[in-house]
Amino acid sequence: MNTDLQKEFADYTKNLNAAGKDERIKTALTRAVHAYRSTVDETLQRFPHTPELAAEVRELKAEAVIKRDDLLRQAMESVERNKGKAFYAADKQAALALAREIIGKGKVVVKGKSMLGEELHLREDLEEYGNEVWETDLGEFILQLKHDRPMHILSPAIHVPREQVAEIFSKFFGKEVPPDIAQEVAVVKEFMRDKFFQADVGISGANVVAADTGAMVMIENEGNVRLATAAPPVHIVFVGVEKIVPTFQDAMKVAEVTWRYAQYGVPGYVSIITGPSKTGDIEKVTTYGAHGPKEFVVIFVDNGRSTMATEPEFSAALHCLRCGGCMYECPVFQVTAGHFGHTYLGGIGTVWTAFVAGGMEKAAPLAYTCLRCGRCVERCPMQINIPAMVGELRKRIVNGEGLGKEEVSQEEAS
Amino acid sequence: MAVEMKLPPVLDIIRSNIVKYGNPLALKGGEVAAWAKSLNLPAQGELLFYTGGEYQLLPYIDTLVKTMTKVDQASKGFSLLMGVRNVLDKAGINAEKMYASVLAKDKERYNTVCYKAAVILRQLGYELSYSGEHELYSGALLYELGYWDDLRAYAPKVANVIAQSGAKTIVCLSPHAAEVFKYVYPKLLPDFAFEIKTFVELVWEKRDLLPQVDYAAPVVIHDSCRLARELGIDEQLRDILTSVGVQQREALRNRKWTTCCGGPNKLLFPEISHEVAERRVNELTHTEAETILTSCPYCLSALENGNAANAGVEDLIEFLYRGVKP
Ligand code: SF4
Repeated sequence: MNTDLQKEFADYTKNLNAAGKDERIKTALTRAVHAYRSTVDETLQRFPHTPELAAEVRELKAEAVIKRDDLLRQAMESVERNKGKAFYAADKQAALALAREIIGKGKVVVKGKSMLGEELHLREDLEEYGNEVWETDLGEFILQLKHDRPMHILSPAIHVPREQVAEIFSKFFGKEVPPDIAQEVAVVKEFMRDKFFQADVGISGANVVAADTGAMVMIENEGNVRLATAAPPVHIVFVGVEKIVPTFQDAMKVAEVTWRYAQYGVPGYVSIITGPSKTGDIEKVTTYGAHGPKEFVVIFVDNGRSTMATEPEFSAALHCLRCGGCMYECPVFQVTAGHFGHTYLGGIGTVWTAFVAGGMEKAAPLAYTCLRCGRCVERCPMQINIPAMVGELRKRIVNGEGLGKEEVSQEEAS
Repeated sequence: MAVEMKLPPVLDIIRSNIVKYGNPLALKGGEVAAWAKSLNLPAQGELLFYTGGEYQLLPYIDTLVKTMTKVDQASKGFSLLMGVRNVLDKAGINAEKMYASVLAKDKERYNTVCYKAAVILRQLGYELSYSGEHELYSGALLYELGYWDDLRAYAPKVANVIAQSGAKTIVCLSPHAAEVFKYVYPKLLPDFAFEIKTFVELVWEKRDLLPQVDYAAPVVIHDSCRLARELGIDEQLRDILTSVGVQQREALRNRKWTTCCGGPNKLLFPEISHEVAERRVNELTHTEAETILTSCPYCLSALENGNAANAGVEDLIEFLYRGVKP
C-alpha cells in the first residue's frame, strides 16, 4: 500500500502559514497565554499542595490504565445500580448509533462543551438525523454559528474577538448586537434560557468518573452544564473510557488538579451527578424525575483509547486531563492556535489524532510541526513526554508502521 | 502491514545525504574540516573535539530551505528515492551553484566558530584531537526526523571514526550531537562508552582561567531547549559569563522554561519557524540586553534569521573568543 502524504502536507502547510500571519490569532493568544500563566502561578502559590496532588494523580491514572477493563465494568455497574443506563461504544460509529437510537428525531437537544463530542462530530450527526442541537457553552455557540472548529480545548473561540462576535450575533438574532462583551453574553443567556427548558435532551461530557460510585464530575464556570444536565427530562453523558478512576476520592483529586492547571483558579461550578433525579418524600416511595432528568444515560466511548493503552510508548497520553496548559506553552500553538491540530490540538493532540481522531495521515503533518522542544512537559501536571511520543510517531510514519502493533502481535502469538 | 508513506522530499534529502555523505547537506569532508588547517590538531588523543559539521553547514540551510519552497512538494515528480542533487536538478537548480551562491562572509563566520572553540579550549589547557575530514555528522537529524533504522545502520560508522581517535571523552559543540551520543547511541551500540561533554561544560570546569571579555553592555542568554531541558545545563552558562565579567539580563522565559527558537521545524515549515524565531528574539530583546548569546548552532542560525530587532546574536564561543588573544 502507498499513502501519498505530500498533498496532506501541502494543504495543511497552507492553512498553518495563513494562521501564522493572522494578527488576530497572535493578539488573542498573547493575551491568553499571559492570563493563563499568571492565574496558574497565582493559584499554585495559593494552593501549594497542588504539585504533590498532581503526582498522586499521575500514579492513580497510570494504575487506572492498567485496570481499565475492571474499572469500566465497575463504572457501568455503578451507573446501573444508581438507576441510570450504561452503554459501551467501541468506536465512533457505535457511539453515534447509540445517540441516534436514544434521542431519535425531531428533538431539541442542549449540549455542554466536550472534546469527545468534537471527536464524534456529535452535534453535526444529531442535526443530520433531524434534531435541533444547541451548543450551550458560549465559545462553542459562537463557533456553531460561525461554522468553525474549536481553536483551544478550553477556550474554543479564543481566536474570535468581540467585534466579530457582535457581527455573528447581529446576523443570527436579526438585531443589532453591539461589540460589548456583557451585552453579547446577555443576548445569548436570554436565547439559551428558553432552549434549556424546551429541550428534550441534555448532553454533557465529564472531566472524571468514579467507578465505585458511578459519579460523573463536571467542571465549569458558565453554569450552562448545570442547566443542560438538570432542566431537560433526559441527560446523556458521553465520556471517554480513560476518564474512569477507581474511587470518589480519586475523582476529587483528579478534578482539583484539572481545574488548577486549566486556569479555573477556583471553578464556578463543580457538578457531581450519579443518576436520575428522584424523590422519596411521599410515603418513602422512590419516584424518578423530580426536578431533574427522569432518565440518566452514560455512554462510555473507547474509539481507539484501548489501542493507545496497549502501546507502552503512548499509553501515558491517556493520563491527559485536558487542562490545556501545554498548548499555552507551545511556541507553535502561540502563533497558530488550533491550526496546529486536527480536532485534538498541539503536541498531545498529535498523539490523540493518530489514535482516535484522524489516524496517521492527519497526524503526520502535526508530528513534523512539533518542535519537540519539550516546554509542554514542564507545564504538564501529568508530565506526559509528548516529544518522545512525537518522535515515536515520526519513526512509525517513516517506516509505514501502524498503531496498536502490540495488540496485533499478541493476537498473532496466540 | 507496512504502508509506504510518501513524505515531503526535503526529509529524504536530509536522510540520504547523511547516510551517503555523512553530512545533512552533503558537504565534503574537506570543506567541513577546512577551519582546522592552521591548528594542526592531532588525529588521536583522549579528548576528541567533535564539530559534527553542524556550524559549518549553517550558511547552506537557508539556501536549501529557499530552494525547497520553490520545489512543489506535492507534485508527482518527486519520489522518495531521489537524492538532493536529483531533486535540485529536477527543480532546475544546480546544486553546485546553489552552494556556491552562499555568501562568503557567512561561510567565513560559521566556519571560524569551530576554530574559535578549539582555540578557547586549548588555551584553557585541554589537549584536543580531531578527526578532520573523516569526521562524520552524528546523525541527530536521523533520530529527530524518525529515520531510526537508518541511524541504526549509520551510527556504527560514526562510532568507528570516533574509536580510531582513541578518545575517552568527546567534547561536542552542538547540544544535539551531545544528546544523541549520550542518550541514543548507547542504546544502539552497547560498546559506545565514551564520556560525552559539551563545550559549555568543559569551559565551565575551568572558567576561572578564562580571559575577561571587555564588553560593557548587558547580554542575555537564550537557553537552547536541548541544553537546558535535556542536558540540564543552564546555570553553567551564567557562571561562565560571570567569570568573564559580563553583565547579564534574564528573559522572562529562560532555563527550563526557555522558549524554543523555532529552528527544529524550519525544513518543513520555514514560515512558522521564522515567526517563532522572531517572537523569541522579541522576548530576549525585551530585557534591553544588546547581545543575545546562545550555545547551539541551530539556535544561532534561527535567532539570526528572526532578528528583525537587529540585536547582536552570537554563539557563546564567538563571545568568549572576544577575550582571547591567540
Ligand atoms: S498533555 Fe498535560 S498539559 Fe496538555 S492538556 Fe493534557 S494534562 Fe494538560
